[in-house]
Amino acid sequence: MAVQQELLQPAPDLARSGTMSRKRFFRSKIVPWLFILPIFSLHFIVVIVPSAQALYYSLTDWSGIGAAEFVGLENFRQLLLEDTTYRSALTNNAKWLLFFVTVPFAMALIAAQILAPVSRGAMIFRTALFIPYVLPSVINSNIWKNLLSPRMGIGAQLAERGIPGLDIAFLGRPDTALITIAFVDNWHFWGFLMVLFLTAMQGISKDLYDAAKIDGANRINEFLNVTIPGILPTLVFMMMLVAIWSFLVFDYVWILTQGGPANSSEVLGSYLYKQAFNRFEAGYASAIGLTMSVFAGLIIGLFGLLRKRGWEI
Amino acid sequence: MRKVSFIPVLLLLSLVFSACAAPVAAPTDEGPEKVTISFWYNPPSGGEGADCYEENIVIPFNEQSETIFVDAVAQPEAWNATRTAMAAGEGPDIVRTPGPSFVFELAQAGQLLPLDELVSSEGWDDLFVDWALSLGEVDGTVYSLADELETLVLYYNKTLFDEMGWSPPSTVAEMHELAAVIANNDIVPFAHANSEWRPANEWHVGEYLNHVAGPDRVYEALTGKIPWTHDDFVTSIELLNEAQQNGWFGGGLELYYTSTFDEVRGLLGSGAAAMNIEGTWTAADLDTLYFTEENGGNEWAWVPVPSQTGAPIYDIGMGNTSSINRNSEHPEAVAEFLSYSFSPESQALLLKNCGKAPAPVRLTEDAMEGVDPRIASIFIDLAAASDNGGYGYTTWTFWPPKSDVYIYEEIERVWSGDITTEEFLQGLDEIFQEELAAGAIPPIPDR
Repeated sequence: MAVQQELLQPAPDLARSGTMSRKRFFRSKIVPWLFILPIFSLHFIVVIVPSAQALYYSLTDWSGIGAAEFVGLENFRQLLLEDTTYRSALTNNAKWLLFFVTVPFAMALIAAQILAPVSRGAMIFRTALFIPYVLPSVINSNIWKNLLSPRMGIGAQLAERGIPGLDIAFLGRPDTALITIAFVDNWHFWGFLMVLFLTAMQGISKDLYDAAKIDGANRINEFLNVTIPGILPTLVFMMMLVAIWSFLVFDYVWILTQGGPANSSEVLGSYLYKQAFNRFEAGYASAIGLTMSVFAGLIIGLFGLLRKRGWEI
Repeated sequence: MRKVSFIPVLLLLSLVFSACAAPVAAPTDEGPEKVTISFWYNPPSGGEGADCYEENIVIPFNEQSETIFVDAVAQPEAWNATRTAMAAGEGPDIVRTPGPSFVFELAQAGQLLPLDELVSSEGWDDLFVDWALSLGEVDGTVYSLADELETLVLYYNKTLFDEMGWSPPSTVAEMHELAAVIANNDIVPFAHANSEWRPANEWHVGEYLNHVAGPDRVYEALTGKIPWTHDDFVTSIELLNEAQQNGWFGGGLELYYTSTFDEVRGLLGSGAAAMNIEGTWTAADLDTLYFTEENGGNEWAWVPVPSQTGAPIYDIGMGNTSSINRNSEHPEAVAEFLSYSFSPESQALLLKNCGKAPAPVRLTEDAMEGVDPRIASIFIDLAAASDNGGYGYTTWTFWPPKSDVYIYEEIERVWSGDITTEEFLQGLDEIFQEELAAGAIPPIPDR
């Protein structure tokens, strides 16, 4: 009762404090949303709406033009049970993933470890190795297309000078096309990884290395027991990104072989493009795209699980 | 406490939403009474093609027209940009597609203006040769005008042939015998490659189907009377496979997959390759780029692509089509521009100045004046062949899209030994019958 009366008592500054609290509420709850709104609107228009549309079209028979006919899960049934090209493309993506979570990481770690103690001319080395990453894929691809040309490339020039063995049509053979494309892509990519690892290594306390030295550690021991644990969050995070990117690869494959010869370098991205823009199967292409998103989601989920289990990611 | 200003936020919002607004028509220097119609083209690479079209057709039209201004816009990936824009109810007034099978999809979706009335009012029925207008029909209504009449011929290095005492072949058997002789002389028999354009595979599939099985058989299959698994088609694909397995195309399968057109045409010009089955689109470049003094100073000539019987057959192909956007505000203006660009005078100008194959219009005799007689003779012979039934069908013009893609993708699996010829044709037949049942086959000129 006493409390009720207290509440009913008109406080002298009620109007003022009400205005203040409304302002505080506006500032703390509304203003942040207003700042987010422009980018959210953009995201809504270019990501969320097309994603929802892709989800819908994956359940339709649609040419990409005109009306779409709802077919339920037919596209997914065909994709997963009948489409052999999809299966071989998925296998190629898996090979791509295996290559990219091993080769560039090994190269980047070794190079970063070698370059980390270098102080004189360090910038020159780092820049030289990073430059391929900033070149457009179309430039990188065409440079390597010419270098690997069996008629005019390095192999052909060496063969002319009596050193045979490399005048091979690496991009023209079903057994070498995919690995050659991965090699070209890696040539531009690994320098980027190296710079990231180098930056992460610089964050490791020098005391840890000194302590390891006192314990009698050699450089390999230091690398395995100090450097790797020190950059583990960066390492694992990049591994997650590279795994996701491996399912999205398109540009290097498209420029170098368009998935050939005989579909030997077909990946999900190039197969999706062909379905949508060459065969007018936009509904089917949406289904392929959706499966690519699912694979990326699975990778994110896996890393999330590892994080929950205490991994420093 | 500092007051928060919302003006920057509002400005930012207005910027975001203004970016999503429909584009406003660009002002032109022309008088206000002129209506503007838009035309999208691929940005030219190497200073050829579309630039030449703009200089010879669009600019002169804009200068002479008092009521119409054609706004030619360089649009990367023009076709993909066009179909995306049209799906959103936008796009250029003049719709150009890569071929009749693409028109089918747009027409079915109601995105193109029917042209039947304009055909008679603009006199296009007199302008185009008899079968050409039917190529633009979907369900009996004309939706597009065929542009760039193409065919494939066998180009050869005449100087080399004269030196070696070889005669250009007229039958497929002669061609294969000669290819073996050429290969034994360490010369590449055919300057073929696909590294820049994987659909180049379909040129060869189409040629072997039409020239071994014959255009009558192809017509029967295209109209659903016989399946693609017919023995004559098996023979055709096996002969093509024999040529590939013998390493006659580009010097071997691996070189075929990795060589550029410039490389292999350069080989043809220098005499390191002897023959090349390719389209009329390359004829204008042969003298200027490949049969040059620096490349040996050789001379080229051509013959029809050999056939099983020796009778000349010219496979008809269409490079592009032109239509009118259903949403165009000025269809009459577009029609006027199309009449101008398809006139015999304009087409002859494009052939002379740009090396562009003409549309299937009735060219006047004097239109060919000034054109390389070898190139002129291809079109004269093609016109004669189209009148007497001596024509075949190119895959990119007369096959529906899924079958077409299947042909140039899956033929590589025959060459690599992954599948047999019979399996390849079985797969083609299954896809084709589906498309036939769906009514997706482009109009096939009667024989």
